[in-house]
Amino acid sequence: MPDAPETILNVNDNEAGRYATTRILHRAGFKVIEAGTGGEALQIAREDLPPLVIIDIGLPDMSGIEVCRRLKADPVTASTMVLQMSATNIAVIDRVNSLSAGADSFLVEPVEPEELEAVSRALLRLHRSESALRRSLAERELLLKEVNHRVKNSLQLVLSMLSLQGHRFKEPETRELFTKAISRVTAIAAIHERLYQDADPLTVEMHTYLTGLCAELVRASGMEENAQASLQIEVEEMRLPTEHGVAVALVVNELVMNALKHAQPASGPAIISVRLMRHGTGQVRLTVADNGATPEQSSSEVTGLGTQLIRMLARQLNGTVGIDRADGTYAVHVTFPLQSPVSWRPPY
Amino acid sequence: MAATVLIVEDQMLIAWHLSDLVEGAGHRVLAIARDPAEAMEAASRHRLDFALMDIRLHGGTSGLEAARMLFECWGVRSIYISANLDPATRAQAEQLQALGFVGKPFLPAELIAAIERAVKAL
Repeated sequence: MPDAPETILNVNDNEAGRYATTRILHRAGFKVIEAGTGGEALQIAREDLPPLVIIDIGLPDMSGIEVCRRLKADPVTASTMVLQMSATNIAVIDRVNSLSAGADSFLVEPVEPEELEAVSRALLRLHRSESALRRSLAERELLLKEVNHRVKNSLQLVLSMLSLQGHRFKEPETRELFTKAISRVTAIAAIHERLYQDADPLTVEMHTYLTGLCAELVRASGMEENAQASLQIEVEEMRLPTEHGVAVALVVNELVMNALKHAQPASGPAIISVRLMRHGTGQVRLTVADNGATPEQSSSEVTGLGTQLIRMLARQLNGTVGIDRADGTYAVHVTFPLQSPVSWRPPY
Repeated sequence: MAATVLIVEDQMLIAWHLSDLVEGAGHRVLAIARDPAEAMEAASRHRLDFALMDIRLHGGTSGLEAARMLFECWGVRSIYISANLDPATRAQAEQLQALGFVGKPFLPAELIAAIERAVKAL
């Protein structure tokens, strides 16, 4: 039992009835506040936040059922327990309506003092355990937010550290190796910036994710968009499970990085296109193409670690890799089944 | 136009990285501050076009508080860079005529785009 007596708001316009109830509750050791109208009750409930309100069903300004409905609809008082009382022997439908409106229990008068006390204690007990659950949930949410903050901050530190290091190399080969490493880590880290503020943290919306990454690839390559290279991004509205989203982003990263480096068309800027579209039934196709290929050679072919990464990531997506060469265009596509994401909804 | 920029960030590695990016984009970083007091001190010594503002600062101080003081005393507005840009934070920043928002971990291209938009809006 808590040390301070718990407060109950007793709402009844009939003075004799109100007095009788207050007397029983006082004797049981509760602190009682009284109200004679629905309006008064709503105001007191909002200001004093009593854990339990006992409401007579017939009030002069509004019905007890309406008082209950408004208490439960107001976020400030929604957790208040409501015990509906009726002095008359009312129809079953009214009792059902009371409970439907959110009342936690119902008593018909005349009521034995022991029963009123026992029901009040049961409702207060329920209120205490609900409050404890709510507090614990709020603490967990705060903790989760804090952990997310630290994860994102640590990823930022990793990226900043790599960038600071990378800028200090003079040799072009070392610089390029570092740029590639940074770019790969960026593709993985960038997803975190997009996950938690979203309604659904287990999936990622691909359009903003890929658009942001591609803009960064152009910047890091030192090519100015529209001048030396033009990037066309066409991503169908879709959300992918996080692990698939990261795999797709890493494939895009390898192919675009490579195209930016090697695609050198005979005339005009390099045009690189990134497409992610639904393909047939339940499939998705990622295509990265550029206009850098000549009939004799495909200069923008990915080699080394890049090729291996793409093969492994395609396997992780349960997908297949294909290559098309036509009309000076070199295109790589990865086709994989669209896994319906496990959706996450807040549990309240 | 080369803008004059104050970086308010308590993690020195990130501040340094930000400083590299701002200068790489052709602007000038006049100071790095770790908390609201250092930010105000820097603002009293330099004429600043805007600040890059982290939300959580040294010793539990608030970037929003630093931004409010910079804005009210010197009319200096901020681009907010944080790992937690929730709607409440954004709403408070909007009241200080926020120049932009960039989430952490940031993409340098997004940061630079936000800086260029800010320079145009000044």
